Amino acid sequence: MARVIKQRPMNWIERLYIFECLRGLFTTLKHAARGLFRYETLPTISYPEGQPEIRHTYRAKHRLMLRPDGTPRCVACGMCAAACPAHCIFIEATQSDDPRIEKRVMRFDIDHLTCVFCGLCAEACPVDALRMDTKKIVFEHRTREEFVAHMSDLMDWDPKDYPEDAQSQMAPGGTKNKQALETWGMEVK
Amino acid sequence: MSNFYNMPKLPTENSPKVEIFVDDKAVMVPGDTNLLEALKAVGIETPHVCYHPYLPVSGNCRQCLVEQEGPRGRMLVIACYTPVTPGMKIFTPASSARVKNARKATQEFMLVNHPLDCPICDKAGECTLQENYMEAGQNESRMRPEYGKNYHGNPDHQFIDAKGQVRGGKHVDLGPRVLLDEERCVQCDRCVRFMRSIAKSEQLQLAGRADHTYITTFPGEKLDHEYDLCVTDVCPVGAMTAKYFRFQKRVWLLSHTPTISMDDSLGANIWLDHADGRIYRVMPRCNPEVNRSWLSNTSRLAFQGFNKNRLPAMGFNVIKSAMGEGKVAVVMGGACTIEDMAAARMLKDSMGDKVELFGGSLLKVSEPDGIAKSGDPCANRAGLKLMGFADVSELLKRAGEFKVLLTVNADLFGEDAAAAKALEAIPSRIAFSAFNDETAKKATLAFGIKHWSEVQGTMVNNLNILQKLNACPVCPDAELRPAYDVISELAGKKFESASAAFKKAGEYASVLAGLSYDTIKSTGKLLEGGEA
Amino acid sequence: MDIIESKTWIEWVITIAKFAFCFVPVLYILLLIPMERRGAGFMQDRQGPNRSYIKIPYFGKIRLFGYIQNMCDGTKLFFKEMFAPAGVNKVLYYVAPAIPFAIVFLSPCVIPWFGPMVFDWGDKAVRIPGSIIDSDVGVLLLMGFSSLSAFGAILAGWASKSKYTFLGALRTSSMTISYEVCLGLSLMGILLLAGSFNLTDIVSWQENHVWGIVAQPVAFFCFLIASIAETGRAPFDVAEGEPELVAGYHTEYGAMQFGLFYMGEYSHICINSFLIATLFLGGYAVPFVTTETMQAHMGGSLAILCGILAFLALAFLHMLHRYSKKLAATQQTHRFEVLQEYKLYKICGWAAVVVFVVLGACAWFLFNPANMAINGFAIGSFATALGTALIHLLVLVVKSVCFCWVWIWVRWTLPRFRYDHVMHLGWKIILNIALINLVVTAVIAKLVGGN
Repeated sequence: MARVIKQRPMNWIERLYIFECLRGLFTTLKHAARGLFRYETLPTISYPEGQPEIRHTYRAKHRLMLRPDGTPRCVACGMCAAACPAHCIFIEATQSDDPRIEKRVMRFDIDHLTCVFCGLCAEACPVDALRMDTKKIVFEHRTREEFVAHMSDLMDWDPKDYPEDAQSQMAPGGTKNKQALETWGMEVK
Repeated sequence: MSNFYNMPKLPTENSPKVEIFVDDKAVMVPGDTNLLEALKAVGIETPHVCYHPYLPVSGNCRQCLVEQEGPRGRMLVIACYTPVTPGMKIFTPASSARVKNARKATQEFMLVNHPLDCPICDKAGECTLQENYMEAGQNESRMRPEYGKNYHGNPDHQFIDAKGQVRGGKHVDLGPRVLLDEERCVQCDRCVRFMRSIAKSEQLQLAGRADHTYITTFPGEKLDHEYDLCVTDVCPVGAMTAKYFRFQKRVWLLSHTPTISMDDSLGANIWLDHADGRIYRVMPRCNPEVNRSWLSNTSRLAFQGFNKNRLPAMGFNVIKSAMGEGKVAVVMGGACTIEDMAAARMLKDSMGDKVELFGGSLLKVSEPDGIAKSGDPCANRAGLKLMGFADVSELLKRAGEFKVLLTVNADLFGEDAAAAKALEAIPSRIAFSAFNDETAKKATLAFGIKHWSEVQGTMVNNLNILQKLNACPVCPDAELRPAYDVISELAGKKFESASAAFKKAGEYASVLAGLSYDTIKSTGKLLEGGEA
Repeated sequence: MDIIESKTWIEWVITIAKFAFCFVPVLYILLLIPMERRGAGFMQDRQGPNRSYIKIPYFGKIRLFGYIQNMCDGTKLFFKEMFAPAGVNKVLYYVAPAIPFAIVFLSPCVIPWFGPMVFDWGDKAVRIPGSIIDSDVGVLLLMGFSSLSAFGAILAGWASKSKYTFLGALRTSSMTISYEVCLGLSLMGILLLAGSFNLTDIVSWQENHVWGIVAQPVAFFCFLIASIAETGRAPFDVAEGEPELVAGYHTEYGAMQFGLFYMGEYSHICINSFLIATLFLGGYAVPFVTTETMQAHMGGSLAILCGILAFLALAFLHMLHRYSKKLAATQQTHRFEVLQEYKLYKICGWAAVVVFVVLGACAWFLFNPANMAINGFAIGSFATALGTALIHLLVLVVKSVCFCWVWIWVRWTLPRFRYDHVMHLGWKIILNIALINLVVTAVIAKLVGGN
């Protein structure tokens, strides 16, 4: 329910306007002086040269998490595509070669031109296969087709960039990969 | 498992009404059926897994529990196997916490070792277990994570997964068309009952006892029945999956078009499940009078050829001029709708005695199999008769009289090349066909039309039931038109729509007069006075 | 000939040279536009335009703190195609933008840029007024000129044949009329005190008594508000209110035609700030120091001036140094480029410091009017007068720049008034305050027994 906020009625000094004007002028003067004398403390950044600091919770470009053997964790359930409000995820599934795994993703495309970066896909993923923590926020390509990230593109990430994430370290090249492979490679009866 | 199977009695329009008390309220329900169907008739859905209206009642899932007031107090009974008796007192979860808890507990037991495969399961979205869970379950998981899910079924199929859990039987190859996932199976034995009672070929069996029960075939045998894909329909969970549809599409992304399978004169009612402009699967549409819930593999898998080998629609003016060369024989195939026939009758009206109408197929008529096939491959034979078309065999005898042969969806050369050889005497052979089939190849002029899955229309099946076809938006070529549209243009008076063509058909066949698409129910309309 | 011979050649030279002041408002545009854009940026916690650059050898990309951007914009406007929409009154359409811009060259004529230069030239005592035209009705002339610029807007609005421009023109005209009244009335108080319409007299009254802002604080506020309104800038820019009228009277203008309006507006600000500085801030008068004291210690005064300038250069260098240090510590990919660019500024800054220090030292030690002569012709008093004029001019410029800043500051702070509020403010509040102020001033002046 909408909350009704009662505004305090203005007193006569405020209604005179001139003093409020002066207060406003003082505020802007402070900011202007900050820009002039403390230029480096401006909250804006010189964008292409200076990159913003992005936290890992920021919803940036997607990546597909990998199993210890390097295959995507994705089971092609289509939950991300179902959750996607922009309908920018295209998935095709096929039979997996691994007998322990039933379904495997054959095509996983994300159209980043259509994507609204809401993060619902990553939320919806039941197997933690899709994440948006790459911190890549710049998408620059020549053609529209290149904005569609294919599976190979989404799987192309380095575990070294995610040193604190145990799941990422289990991927090939990660510190926990060997250990994870041992568990993963359990004997199939 | 009980050895005593009996088919459930389903309520009909003529069922006697009796009064029973549901949650202390008096309601009138059909009196000659079981409690589950009776409650459904008054709008109370009872969750069930093993019960299927067209399969013998087995009563093993215990999901449909209700409370009944009896001589020894209120007892939990299964609704699917309890006949309705006048004055019985029934309590549903709406009033009884005991029923609610019992169903919840049953649900929880069923899910104990049911794998969390929903994301990758092809049944997800139309799974009975999911529906029941949303309705009766919804309990917090009491699974101890260190124990996890375990598979106790066929020891040959067990393996230990990356989390150290006992899994197994993930894709057991039952036969050429069906895969079994033993882990997902809830042992409702619907598939076993289907093969035993409906298919009359006991190819599936339950093996093992209790928690170790699993579905299997006899050693060395395969599941390869004409109706074996029906087990994937009856399976309430994703245990039985059809290979052709495996991982093709999540079911909630499919749109459904109700129509009629036009490859058999029974006219099995089907759903065409389509998405992205193509048909992904064909599912039987329940029609108690016609095919119940069954569909043959032939009808079901026919869709795979619907968009292949299609004929383009080109050169209509040449055909128009070719029609004037002499006496015309129009042959309508079994896949033609009543609307197409009305257009052909109009063509005869406009050209007079120059045109003679024939219909039918050269294929052999076989015996009905009693499930969902009449054995007559000419689907609309009753319709042809109704609209006054002579049989095609007569044409074969009088082939010499004609100068022009116009075949509409009638692949005479492909059906019986030897018999159709007589037709080669006709100099100008025009083929209206969806496919580039033998007749189209032999024809002097071939023109592509829409396939029956893409048109709206009606057909009369061998039980004399008028059934509706609906257009599924999967036509591969925007240029293609329905046959009635093309033929009526030949006749010089183009139909505006299928319903206009159907109205015109009423002029030629009095039984159809006064009917419209709106008055034909989805299960069809039994025509009176006509002959099957 | 008589007229020519009535004055010495140096008088003629200076009189003619004074016409150069006509270009001051145009030069101010070069100052005001970057001030406006970057000032607005700073007030909104952003950087403002700072990307355009000129590439020079060694130092690389020279951005001049975003100053190059204005050159680029000017070049763009200049080379864009001039066009007229179909159906406009071609003559008026093309003439209109020139009007406000032409006024700009007239208005500076009456502003006293420095105190009257009085010096001995040979055996003649020469007196040269500080304004180009030392008119006794200087204030009236100035007011007349500045209200003329409204004609540009009105004609443009009418000639453009568009609803938006027409509405904009209507608003401009009505607002100009309303605020001219307030402007004139709030001015009357100070005129009453000074007892003259001559701007030089007003300034010298302030020099002798007290600044106008102290004598007439209420009039100062009224005048400030009214002149902001008269320039048609926020918060009074209803004439070109974007949400309502697209761009007001200059909607249909592009290229340099629009550029003329744009420059006219900034020049108008410049002139108005000169006017305020002259009327209320003592004009060219140096605060706390009389002209006589200054002239008596001209060498010291010039040295102090040089010292101030050197200090400013040092402050600039300090800011550069501090910012380069911070920049070098960041990860910005262009930091070395920028540091290289700053090298140039540092060199310039240090050069300025050295030059000012040397000049100051020279002035301190070497400036002695009594000994100054060229080929035996004593120019000591002329040099003193020239130095005074220089200091006066700089003081006036500083004061006016401060007021220019007020224009920009107010624009980026206060939200736009609604049109009826503007009229309400003009006619019902400021006019009344100005009237009361006038009456009170008159009464007090009479009681105190001024002129």
